[in-house]
Amino acid sequence: MVFRSDSLAMKLVKGTACSILLAGALSALPASAEEPIEELKREVEGLKQENQEIKRRMEAFEAEDEETKHGLSILTRLVEVSGYADAEYSFTDRDGEDSGFRLRHLSLFFTKEIQKEWKLFTEVEFEDAPRIESERSTDEVKSSQGTIFIEQMYIEYHPRLDWDLRLGRFLTPAGIWSIYHYPPYVTTQTSPIIYKVIFPEVSDGIQLRNSFTLKDSALDTQVYLANGSGNSGNGDRNESKGAGARINADLLAGLSTGLSWYREEDNGGVLRNSYGAHLLYARSAFRIQAEYQARTNAPDSSPDFVDSGWYAQAEYDMGKWTLAARYDWYDPSSEADNDLWVRYTGAINYHFAHNVTGKIEFNRNEFDDSSEDAYSQGIMAIAVAIGDL
Amino acid sequence: MAAFLKKIALLTGVALVLAVSSLEAAEPVAVIVNRANQVEKLSESEVKKIYTNNTLAWPDGAPIIIYDLSTIDPSRALFSERILGKSPDLVAEEWAHLKITNQAKNPPQTMKSPSMIIRRVMKEKGAIGYVSLSLIQNNPSVKVVNTLQ
Repeated sequence: MVFRSDSLAMKLVKGTACSILLAGALSALPASAEEPIEELKREVEGLKQENQEIKRRMEAFEAEDEETKHGLSILTRLVEVSGYADAEYSFTDRDGEDSGFRLRHLSLFFTKEIQKEWKLFTEVEFEDAPRIESERSTDEVKSSQGTIFIEQMYIEYHPRLDWDLRLGRFLTPAGIWSIYHYPPYVTTQTSPIIYKVIFPEVSDGIQLRNSFTLKDSALDTQVYLANGSGNSGNGDRNESKGAGARINADLLAGLSTGLSWYREEDNGGVLRNSYGAHLLYARSAFRIQAEYQARTNAPDSSPDFVDSGWYAQAEYDMGKWTLAARYDWYDPSSEADNDLWVRYTGAINYHFAHNVTGKIEFNRNEFDDSSEDAYSQGIMAIAVAIGDL
Repeated sequence: MAAFLKKIALLTGVALVLAVSSLEAAEPVAVIVNRANQVEKLSESEVKKIYTNNTLAWPDGAPIIIYDLSTIDPSRALFSERILGKSPDLVAEEWAHLKITNQAKNPPQTMKSPSMIIRRVMKEKGAIGYVSLSLIQNNPSVKVVNTLQ
């Protein structure tokens, strides 16, 4: 009995002790669980702040590093080199022409900021992978292919952002395509028919560019004096000089429009007056570009005539894809009948990157002249821009 | 056919929700100029004129120095779409075309990090740039002239 009561007492003591311990444990548990959570929260907050601080310092270091590199690159940069290249495979059903690969362009641009206000800009174009071989014993060219061409070389004086003066060879400022035609940035490999026909491709002379605003429109103007077409380098063959001007008004809502004019007396004594009007509308993914150009020609020995042409091109961007279509029309002479040339072009571009573009193009050429057969052409090309643009 | 149309409608809905939520997720972007610049506010169209070179100088005649973020920066995506109405890649292509032809009057200088832009705007009186709003809050050295949400 004693044993039993002892046992009960022991059980009671044990039970009481257990209850106290359990109660203590239970009452202690929430407090001990909350504290580490709060502590952890504080630690996390501290770490977050540290992380922010480290991030800020890292960005400051990065910025300093970038600034240093930028400064160094300016100091050490001798000549800035950029340019573009394109290669293509074209196939056609035109008589006398074969399908094949073509290393179309390698154009290198060399820009040198000579002084704060002076710059030298040069574009050297290698077309169709040039190769020129000479006989060792004489200066005669044994064989040649392709073209090496100094497309632009001018010294620029630019005291302000809104005007500059260029002396040398420059792209004739006329319309849109004459200036903006580089393969990585245009949708088609073929140019509009009127390009290089009605206005000369390049001009050797002096050009003044000026920009100003008129109400809400920004206006860009170019006026120039040049040797005239076919008179490159020191090869001016007549006393008369060519003169031209272009104006472009950047209107609101993505619309810009402008006019071009050029006048020259060529080496054959033909007085030529070229006129052009252009329009560009770019809104969101759509872009429409159109140009009309005409030229009056006054030869001494034959009647005056006008050659004229126009094109309209529409583009639609869908992310990395661009769809394009163009219609070209050209009349070589107002005096002749049945000499129209029209071209229908469709193209799809894929932009691998902002400076790498793949193109597939198809065009169909039709002629009024029955002696000239219509033909089609397909082109697959890759165009890349090189250099730090 | 009806089930197929339902699926298309559902997918379109999901895509729209994702598109809207991604737009909403973009952090506000602040257009900033140097503290000493007399300009206090710039409308979106004024900012556009600067970034398209239709405005080349500040009202006091000082030339504008334009800064851009890299094309992969989310702030540039918001800025490009809102101000210029084009994707950053398309804008980059257009600048490249202008630069390659030496026709660009005052092209933007692209900086890899927003910190670099903040530093440049702090240092250069004629500078303009844009960064995420959270990065320049309580920074007295730059002035916010517009905020894009």
